[in-house]
Formats: sequence, structure tokens, C-alpha cells
Amino acid sequence: MQQSGGASETEVTWDDQQNINKFGRLNNRLHELEDEIKIAKEANENFEDASNELILTDEEVVRFQIGEVFAHVPKDEVETRIEKMQETTAKHLEKLNDEKESIVAQMAELKKILYAKFKDSINLEED
Amino acid sequence: MATSSSASSLSPPQSGGAMVAERRGIPAASFVEDVQVYLNQLGLDVNSTLAFLQERLQQYKVVEMKLLAQQRDLQAKIPDIEKCLDVVSTLQAKKGTGETLLTDFEVSEGIYSRARIDDTDSVCLWLGANVMLEYSCEEATSLLQKNLENAKASLEVLVGDLQFLRDQVTITQVTTARVYNWDVHQRRVRQASTSQDS
Repeated sequence: MQQSGGASETEVTWDDQQNINKFGRLNNRLHELEDEIKIAKEANENFEDASNELILTDEEVVRFQIGEVFAHVPKDEVETRIEKMQETTAKHLEKLNDEKESIVAQMAELKKILYAKFKDSINLEED
Repeated sequence: MATSSSASSLSPPQSGGAMVAERRGIPAASFVEDVQVYLNQLGLDVNSTLAFLQERLQQYKVVEMKLLAQQRDLQAKIPDIEKCLDVVSTLQAKKGTGETLLTDFEVSEGIYSRARIDDTDSVCLWLGANVMLEYSCEEATSLLQKNLENAKASLEVLVGDLQFLRDQVTITQVTTARVYNWDVHQRRVRQASTSQDS
């Protein structure tokens, strides 16, 4: 009996289902990561701008935002604080990028496996 | 009711990834080994099955909206707590030196006023519900730390719930597709056999 394309009889096993689920989870995490990376990059840029402004200003006391208030902080201390915050953000950004790379690799692996089994019956591309 | 019994009877746990019947009130989507067997067990025809699966999807969507809203709230709360911790630690650092801290704070939108904060041992924390309590700096730090850890733990659990939920949505969508394909296949088989007979 011929089977025209479309309604194929490929059975979906529990392993396949788990792979599909994993792909969905990774895809979601990837989108979240991209947003987080964007925010971290913006924060980095802001720190850059802030430290540039700091070099240009000739005031000795700078109003530095801590929490919801602006505390009067001597320029040196502000410099130290901004450097520390820049370091933290840079490390955070690196961690995010590493996670993103790993997720992209895992997703490519899963795509290979799932397309091999289901060929046309499955669509794993971004719409 | 067919729904709750089928969740546990239909899918025995296979190697890797055991199935849970439900998680914190979210019913698990039962994985379907064989569409024919599934339809027989449900005792419904194809259209009713598809309708049931669609209904399940809607229910999942509702729960997902609720969880996403909770997640957004927590994600806003955590930076707030971190900012408070920052302020308290700054006050503590200043404590030893005896300098007064000058700050500008917002009185109203666009209007700021200057405050002079002398050496102090205590801070007041806003606990919500129009309640504000005075704490020593150390107590305040430990309370804020505890709140921060609780918030982060709740967020983790929430993220786990959301992942579980999305898995169930995926399973339900795949099941819907398979039931539909099976139905198309059955019709084709029937058409082929009736055209052979005639």
C-alpha cells in the first residue's frame, strides 16, 4: 500500500518526546539568555560612559546612586566602585555567553537527531 | 473521570525521565504510545479527543499566564532587596569612620532634597502593610539576606514549574498532531478499501 507524503506512520517514542521537550526548553532558555545578555551589555556600556564622565568632571564629590538615593561620595571611591561593578558585570556576561554557546550546541545536536528520525514531519526552525 | 485515571494508567515510566502524575496542581499530559490504544482507552471518537486535547492546552495556557506573572513579580523584587542591602552595607561601612553621609533623595518626581545621615547603629526597614520596623545594621543585613535567599529559591521553584508546564504543553501538542495524522491515515485507508471494493 503506497503512503503519500504528509501523514507518515513514524511512531513517536518516549525518548523522541523527551528530545522534543528538551529542544523546547533549550529554545526558551536561549531567548531568555539573549535578553539577559542585551541587558548586561547595556549595563557595561553605562559603566563605560560613567567612568568617562568621571574622568572629565572636576568635582571632588560625586553623587553616586546607592539604592534609591544619591550619596555624596568622593571621586576616588566612586572610581573604585564603578570598577568593581564593571568586573562583576563582565564576569556575569561571560557566564551568560558560555551558557548560550552550550545551549546552541545542544540544540544543533538535537536538531540532527530529530530531523534524522522525523525528516519533514517536524519543524524546528524559528518562525 | 477519564482524565485523571488515564494520566496514571496510560504511560508506564520508561528508562530515563520518569513520568510524574502532576506537579503542584498542574496535571501531567499522558504520553501516548499507540494512538489506537489511546483512543480505545479514552473511549472517545477522534473529534472529541481533539477537542479534549485542545481544552487541556487552554488550561495549561491559563496556568502559564499565572506563573509568568508571579515570575515577573519575583524578578522585580530581587533587585529591590539587593539595593536595600547595598544601602545598609554602605551605612555600616561609614559607621566606623564617624563621617556624616550626605545624600540627595527624591521627595517627589523631579524634586530632590539633601539629607545628612550621622553615625547610626540602626536602620528602619519597610516590611509592607504600612509597617516599618527599626533594626540594628546587623539584624537588617541578615533579614534582607534571608528575604533575598527566599526570593531566589521561590524563583527557582517557579522556573522549574514553568519548564514542567511547557513540557506538558509540548507533549499535548505532539499528541494532537499524532491523533490528527492517525485520523487522516485511517480515512485514507478506508477510502482506498472502499474504492477497491467498488
